[in-house]
This record gives sequence, C-alpha cells and structure tokens, in this order.
Amino acid sequence: MKRKSLGFILVDALYIAMMTLPIIAGIVLKILTKPASSGITVTGAQIYFTLPLPVQDLPVTESQINSLIVMITALGICLFLTHGLRTRNISRRQHLVEWAIEKVDAMTLDSMGEYFKGFPPFIMSILILSALSSLLSLFGLFPPTSDINIVAGWAILVFLLITYYKFKCGPLGYVKSFCDPPLLAPLNVISEVATPISMAFRHYGNVLSGSVIGVLIATGLQGLSRIVLGWLPGFFGEFPFLQIGLPAVLSIYFDVFSGCLQAYIFAMLTMMYVSGAFNADEYFARKKKKLKN
Amino acid sequence: MQTLEVISVNLWQTLISLLNLVVLFLIVKHFLYKPVKKVLAKRQAELEEHYTTAEKAEADARADRLAWEERLSGANAEADAILQNATELAHSRSDAIVSEAREKADGIVRVAQNEAELERRRATESVKREIVEVSGAIAEKMLEREVNVEDHRKLIDSFIENIGESDE
Amino acid sequence: MLELAIGIILGGCALGAGCAMIAGIGPGIGEGNAVAKACEAIGRQPESKGAVTSTMLMGCAIAETTGLYALVIAILLIFVAPNMLVNILLKAIA
Repeated sequence: MKRKSLGFILVDALYIAMMTLPIIAGIVLKILTKPASSGITVTGAQIYFTLPLPVQDLPVTESQINSLIVMITALGICLFLTHGLRTRNISRRQHLVEWAIEKVDAMTLDSMGEYFKGFPPFIMSILILSALSSLLSLFGLFPPTSDINIVAGWAILVFLLITYYKFKCGPLGYVKSFCDPPLLAPLNVISEVATPISMAFRHYGNVLSGSVIGVLIATGLQGLSRIVLGWLPGFFGEFPFLQIGLPAVLSIYFDVFSGCLQAYIFAMLTMMYVSGAFNADEYFARKKKKLKN
Repeated sequence: MQTLEVISVNLWQTLISLLNLVVLFLIVKHFLYKPVKKVLAKRQAELEEHYTTAEKAEADARADRLAWEERLSGANAEADAILQNATELAHSRSDAIVSEAREKADGIVRVAQNEAELERRRATESVKREIVEVSGAIAEKMLEREVNVEDHRKLIDSFIENIGESDE
Repeated sequence: MLELAIGIILGGCALGAGCAMIAGIGPGIGEGNAVAKACEAIGRQPESKGAVTSTMLMGCAIAETTGLYALVIAILLIFVAPNMLVNILLKAIA
C-alpha cells in the first residue's frame, strides 16, 4: 500500500470536518437555545426567528437548520467517498461507494425498468436525505423528518413527478388514467390526491411516534429514578441515573432501524408510484405515431 | 424560545424542503454519481484494453508456437538428411581407408616377400659359394695326401660336419 | 363554569385519542398475518429469504399506514387540540 500524500490527507480532513462540524454546531446551538423542560412535552421544532413573507410567514425553525446540516453533511460524505477514486487497487471507501451505487442501480432497475435510467441519483438522494435526517436524533438533535412540512415537501415533489409522467401520454391520457373503471373516477382522483398525503404521513408518523415514545420513556425513567434513588442526598437524588443507557437501546430500534426502514420504504414507494404512473406501451405507441406524421 | 405545534403546516417550509431535495439530487448526481460512473467506465475501458492485449498476445504466442513447430519438424528432416549424408560419407571414407590400408599392407607384405626371396637367394648364393670354396679346399687336401679308404671316410665326414657347422 | 368547560374539552380530547388508537388493532392483525405468511414462505423456500423479507417489510410499512393515521390523530388530539380549543373557548367568552 502506497503512503498517502500530505495533500490527500489534508483534503480528507477537510471533508471529514465538513461532515462532522455541522452536526457539532447543531448540538452546540441546541444546548445554547434549549429551554429547560419539565414533564411530558411533545412539541414541534423550535422557532429561531420568523421571516415575514407573502401568504404565510416563514418561521425559521430547528427543522430548517437541521435540514441544512444534513445537506452539508451529505455533501461532505459525497466528496469524502469520491475522493481518490482509482481504477485498480481501490480503497475501502471506494468499495463502499461502488457497492452502494450498484445496489441502488439494481434496485431502481428492478422496480422501475429500463426507461427510468436517470432515477438512481434521485433515489439515492432520497435515501441519504431521509436516513440522515432520521439519524440526526441519535445526536440528540431534532430530526427534520418529524416535521410534517419537510416530508410533505418530498412527497409533493414525488407527486409532481407522478403527474409529469402521467402527462407524458398527453392531457387526454392523463384524464384517461383516472377513468380506468369509469364509475370509480372520483375515487381514483381521491386516491391520487391521497398518495402524497399518505406518503408524508407514513414517514412523519413513524419518526414522530419514535420520538414521542422516546420522550415518554425518558420522562417515565426520570420519575422512576426519583422514586428509587430519591433518598440519596443532594445531587445523587436529583440526577436521573436510570435515564442513562435504556433510551439508547430503544433508540437503536426507533432511530436507526425505523429511520433507515422508512427511508427505504419512501424510496421504494417513490419508485413504484412513478413507474406505475408511466404507461410505457401507450407512450411508445404515441411516439411512433408522431414519428410517422 | 417559542416552539411550533406538533403539526403545523407551513407553505414556505414545504417549498424549502422540496427545493432541498432537488438540490441534494443535483449534489448526489454531480458529486457522487458522476465521478463513480466515470471511474467505473474507465475501469471498464481498461479491462477491455487488457483483454484485447491479452487476446492479441495469446494469438501471437499461438502463431509463434505453430511457426516453431513447423521449423522444428523441418529441422528434424534436415538433421536426418545430414545424418544420412554423414553416414554415407563415413561409410565411403572408411571403405576407402580400409582398401588403402589393405593395399598398403599388401605392398608391405610384397616388399617383405621380395626381401625374403632376395635374402634366400643371397643365402643360397653364399652357400653355393662356400660349397665351391669347400670343394676347392677338399680338392686341395685330396691332392696333398694319399688317399685311403679310412682317410677318405674321415675326410668326407669332417667335410659334412663342416658343412653342417657352416650351414648353421 | 370555565373550569368545567376546559375539563370537558380535555377529557373529550383524551377519550377521542384513546378511541382513535383502536385503529391500532387493524395494522397489528394485518402485520401479524403478513409476518406469519412470510415465515411460512421462508419455511417452504428458505432460499428466497431475502426477497420475502424485503417484500414483507414493504407490505408491513404500507399496512402500518392506517395505524399511523390514527397515531397522528391521537397526537393531534392530545398535544394540539386542547390548546386550540381552549383558546377558541377563551376567545368566545372574552
């Protein structure tokens, strides 16, 4: 193995800093601004300040800041993984990134088909954004996915894609797609509108339920440790010792497993809905007819 | 510090998160997919190149082997011919040598025979000469003395004895 | 009187949340069925474990959707609705 040059290591360090510093900054910000809470409080994101905008004011909240953190971290990860790519004698990180890309490509090809060749990066970005957002709660930060607005934005983008691919067969084809059995047209319209809502609520609900249960258990453990260890003098009686350890075990399920699973499911559903919206046979028939004319 | 409600729908936040996903899509496409795909394509091209060079080398080696085999079989025939020539040459030369030797030996034998003949002749010549001398001497003696039977016999005997001695 | 009204609001919200979570039965049964069938399928064809597992997770996630709707409504009823309704009540009185 050849020794890495100093410049290479420096650039690596820069990328690693790009990955970790935003998270550290987020934690510091959280510690500085977090109000002392007592009892069961399940609230949304903290509002840092509010920007006046037309139609509706924009409260800049934790979820916005944390989304930004996730974006910068994702950019750092991308740069770090693709730094020093070689064609032979490849490093471990190149193995990792090639494996990931191969997996996502195979997944997309499996469930969408040949026509959607440009989709793997989109699916990959959904996976990265969703998983990283959910995993932020491991660091004690507010996971942006437990804010309905964030997930709704992604779901609306997916809805736009679905509509775009339905319009590929012309406006008439778009209308026709709802009248599969003509009697059920209203129901089809409702289910079409329900698609993004259900996607958003599925993701949001899963992450939020995790954090709600986390809060409930943390509060319960606080009370329990006050009952069990309350007779100890001074600091030892006040400090919730039982809160150490058990929430971490639970967060392995609720944050890691559930977060990654929801990211996978969101990506899978995106692929299924988008590829289901595209009527390939009709599209190619139309294209052929157009070419003839 | 204020907090939002658990569920509060905000148009701008939704729009921002939508744009975030688009931006991340561009980031992933540009910074993750493009370099990796490039490297994969490059590796594919390198592999293709390696394969073509390997195939070419194999074909070359095969052709070389064929040529060598051909040349080897030619060399075998050549060696056979050379060997045959050499044996023929050797045969003829040995024949020549043998016949020459035989001739030489014959010559030697002939010379020896001639010499022996000559020697014999010389010997007989010398014997004859001696006989003549002896007979001359005998005649002298006979003439010197009176001859009686007894003397005669003795004389002859001594003569013969003389001959035998001198003949030895 | 005001205390009674607020108490009724809070109690109604809590009861509503509890009722909403009855919907948790459905996904429970459905997911149980799905997992049972998946186990059967894996038992019959152990070589297709990966495909069955991923399909099962997918199906479970979709079956969970109704439960999650109920959960969201319950959370709304517990954490959001009381504040809102009490505010409305106070505004109406004032």
